[in-house]
Amino acid sequence: MKRTATRLGVALAVASLLMTGCGRDDDNGSGAAPGVTDEPCPEAVDKEKGCIYLGVLSDFTGVFKGVGVPFSEGQKAFWKKVNEDGGIGDYEVDVTKYAKDSAYDPDKHAQLFGEIQDDILAVAQSLGTAHTNAILGDAEKEDIVIAPASLASSWQLVDNVLEVGSNYCGDAMNSVDYAVDELGAKGVAVAHFPGDYGDDAAVGAKVAAEARGIDFTDVPSEPGAADKQASVVAGILKADPDVVLVATGPIEMASIVGGLAQKGFTGKIIGSIPTWNIALLGEKKLVPALQALYLQATSFQTWEADTPGYEAMRAAAGETPPSDWYALGYGSGYVMQAVIEKAIEDDDLTREGMLNAAKSLDGVESEGMLPEGAANYAGDPNDAVIRETAFNAVDPTTASGVKQEVAPFVGPTAKDHDFSESACYEQY
Amino acid sequence: MTTPTDEKTTSFSGHQLEETTRRPRRIWGRPGLVTAYAQDMAFFDTRAKLVAVCALVAIAALMPLQLEDDILKLLATGFVLAIGAIGLNLVTGYAGQVSLGHAFFVGVGAVTAAVLNGDPDGRRLGYGITFLPAWMLGAGLVAAVCGAIVAPLATRLRGLYLAIVTLGLVFIGQYIFAEWREGTGGRGVGRDAAVPTLGDVDLTVNGAYTEEQKLYWLMLVILVIFAVLARNLVRSKVGRAFAAVRDRDIAAGVMGVQLGRYKLLAFTISSFYAGVCGSLLYAADGHFSPDEFNLGMSVLFIAMILIGGAGTISGSIMGAMLLALLPRIASELPGFFPFISDRSTEHPNIFEVETALYGVLIIAFLLFEPRGLYGIWHRIRTYWKSFPFSY
Amino acid sequence: MTAFLEAVGEGLGTGSVYALLALGFVIIYKAMQVISFAQPAFMLAGIVLVSYLAESVNFWAAVPIAVAAVALLALAVERVAIRPMVGKAVFVIAIITLGVDVVVRVVAGAFIGVDPRSVGDPWGQEVVNVAGIDMAQRNVAALIAMVVVGGLLFAFFRFTPIGLAMRASALDQEAAMAQGVNVGTVFATSWALAGGLAAVAGVFAATGGPIDQNIWIVALAALPVIILGGLDSLGGAVLAGLLIGVVQAVVATYQRDWVPSLETNAGPIVPYLVMMLVLLVRPYGLFGTKEVERV
Repeated sequence: MKRTATRLGVALAVASLLMTGCGRDDDNGSGAAPGVTDEPCPEAVDKEKGCIYLGVLSDFTGVFKGVGVPFSEGQKAFWKKVNEDGGIGDYEVDVTKYAKDSAYDPDKHAQLFGEIQDDILAVAQSLGTAHTNAILGDAEKEDIVIAPASLASSWQLVDNVLEVGSNYCGDAMNSVDYAVDELGAKGVAVAHFPGDYGDDAAVGAKVAAEARGIDFTDVPSEPGAADKQASVVAGILKADPDVVLVATGPIEMASIVGGLAQKGFTGKIIGSIPTWNIALLGEKKLVPALQALYLQATSFQTWEADTPGYEAMRAAAGETPPSDWYALGYGSGYVMQAVIEKAIEDDDLTREGMLNAAKSLDGVESEGMLPEGAANYAGDPNDAVIRETAFNAVDPTTASGVKQEVAPFVGPTAKDHDFSESACYEQY
Repeated sequence: MTTPTDEKTTSFSGHQLEETTRRPRRIWGRPGLVTAYAQDMAFFDTRAKLVAVCALVAIAALMPLQLEDDILKLLATGFVLAIGAIGLNLVTGYAGQVSLGHAFFVGVGAVTAAVLNGDPDGRRLGYGITFLPAWMLGAGLVAAVCGAIVAPLATRLRGLYLAIVTLGLVFIGQYIFAEWREGTGGRGVGRDAAVPTLGDVDLTVNGAYTEEQKLYWLMLVILVIFAVLARNLVRSKVGRAFAAVRDRDIAAGVMGVQLGRYKLLAFTISSFYAGVCGSLLYAADGHFSPDEFNLGMSVLFIAMILIGGAGTISGSIMGAMLLALLPRIASELPGFFPFISDRSTEHPNIFEVETALYGVLIIAFLLFEPRGLYGIWHRIRTYWKSFPFSY
Repeated sequence: MTAFLEAVGEGLGTGSVYALLALGFVIIYKAMQVISFAQPAFMLAGIVLVSYLAESVNFWAAVPIAVAAVALLALAVERVAIRPMVGKAVFVIAIITLGVDVVVRVVAGAFIGVDPRSVGDPWGQEVVNVAGIDMAQRNVAALIAMVVVGGLLFAFFRFTPIGLAMRASALDQEAAMAQGVNVGTVFATSWALAGGLAAVAGVFAATGGPIDQNIWIVALAALPVIILGGLDSLGGAVLAGLLIGVVQAVVATYQRDWVPSLETNAGPIVPYLVMMLVLLVRPYGLFGTKEVERV
């Protein structure tokens, strides 16, 4: 009896395997472009409108979940507002249905992109530099436009990618210039993740250090807390720099700052934009060290900025905990919105239409959400690239935990650097 | 398809067995009656098997016209994994050498193929060889050489010592892959995988048929070729030597089986299969990074052959297909069990259920059906063979 | 020299964690000639339990409770998944433990959740100055814990009846059975001990900062440790653990000076390299017993 049951179970399992997904559906339904349907969105405000599906490849569980989760929330809030205000043309926009968690793993990223590739018009968020590079080849073959949650120095060279803000490389150049000019630094060390993001900052710092004639030390780091960073701290201390640049995740940055502070380091530690996360304020023992030593290099404003865009964003956020990543996710929506609007205006809401619209975009009205001159894809890459950097310092009294300490500036190295040749990280 | 029944069988210990010189007879109505050794070892020992296998391959070949692309992609991945599983089964299931280092050889294959096939002007090292068999077999050969280099170390050790040492191979391999950024792209970055093209047709671009359909057919053909080759190998002198080494290596040695030579051969062939598997594994995603080739992948292959059936080629394929389809099975679960979430930020979610299911499968098969899926099939077959007198 | 001694200090801390883990592996091996790949999962389970318990009771109360709970878990696993397989090929049992590892690890990992957790240890990143050398308090604590636990284990095997039974059955299982030793109890005790040891090791591996689901990888380093020390040698496990910990820390510190061209931290592969070197000379580890093959 028992055996018969087992066999029955096996037969059922095999049959169900064969049945799942039976019946192939070769035509694309309405015949419109991939990711554009006449059916309303799953959470439509106006059921009469069609739906544009945008893909999201983010990090909800990996090293940069502290970025991915609020960034995605910000995007959702932005598109909810757009949809409530009447959508774009005859369409509303959905960024939820094809939102996937790549856990900051480039292979998973590529795999998930393959899964959603045929169902989306464009990618509203692709988190990670190497990760975006991993899908770039396929995206270019099919003219898919990507808005990266990454600020590498390669994006202005690629038509498909809609970058916003200054890049890690330029930020690092400005950081070194600031260290030399304002702090009188004679040596700089860079602790960075292996891979495109960390290398971008490392190369920027190296170029600037060579240009300014100061000592440069490269200290590769890896994801992981205090244990993994102990040898990084030791490596930095051995080089005895005046300023340390960090291009890692927040936990790594905090471990490095904590380790250096303990050994009596008194210079500045300037982190790339992804090194800050408000959750670090929870590490009470670390906060004094962070306040004393750490600066975040960024070209974006902070949560409490006084611009119409930020005001609308704060209203849209409601009870959501403040995070500058939320603001960035929200702000990046302006660019995608402009591209979709332009494609509809050109009466070509297809992938090619989106790509052409993106190529001809020479700026966007972001109501103060994005840096001056952002989203200029029509211009010469070297002119269009944003070179400004501001520094934020930790301030537990503010909403997002940081406050602008040094106003935006462009250092001499970044000003003269030619960003149109190749990405900084490729020179590592 | 030719039945290799009449092929001259090489005998085991140098003597030509008498039966093989005579053409074996089949007695009508008695398919189970075997009158010659060659008959017993035949590729298809019964007509039913021949028909069933041909039918199965034919159905498999027609599937892309019926199934959705996402399932085809999983099946195609399953076919590639099956090649790797067959390789591991040769060394572990047939020759009895437990290897936790399979992921390393898969990695060698993936990297070699990507380097051979890569764009010479690209960001990473590449030689621009687009001819598919060239880079695929090249990957297999380089992996086989690595296997041959490692084998002498492995032949000195046995059992769990060997398992742990091959595990070390995975860690050291990952380190080398991570360091060789020019070839592999480095950790957390990776590089584009080899792109399968036939003539001028890029199989990864949708055309008259979709990417998934074309890759499915390609992988199916390659799997059939490699499965037939492996099946032929294990019913030859080499296969019998492997089994002798597995069952009692000292006894085999006494009987004149050269232990070192056959262990070396097992590792080399197994690594060749792993290399071929690696060269094709990332064709659909188009990208891989060296972080992939970790202990988890080695365990996955072990699980495939144990769930499928150690020491069987068909079992390797069944196990690989089941584990390749596992994510899909898990993703269907929230429909039945609403408490399972499909979002990775909530618990329990389908990804955790998938992993747990995978662990449970390993335990359950070893506890209740140590011969794996093959064993289940065997029991069904025996049941019907003796129907209605089964007990 | 200071840098070297500081590296040694750190290595002794990590080495103690390895030693505790390795003791668990060896105890199971001695009882049933199987390497249990489930140890990493038990370690993770211990960490997760402590991180939750430390929120309600304090750290010092959380550790013993978690250790006892993980020991019970290991006992249950042995009863359900391992006992039916006794007598089967050791390789098969080893793979079952791999399956157990996968299941327990995913369940325990689910409780870690998205945000980093901490075991709430009192040491954090604090250091203590020992004879002019800065040594992290957590490393000192790990070393002390290892010495204490090792001592208790020694006493357990030396002075209790069940300890004696375990030694007897490790020596010759059939003879022990003939003398009235309940081998089932020996198996169960060895799993419970190994589970508890893994939990203790986990707590010390997790001190000093936030932890995530990947911390189980630490436990894998215990595999080369046991091979190096000899699969059936408790003393060997401790010595090899400390040795590997120290070598690893020293390599991590000096790698940039010795081989500047290598970017990746070679620390994690050091245990395996050392293991392979030793195996070339001594195929049964430093203190292992040579296996006698009966034909």
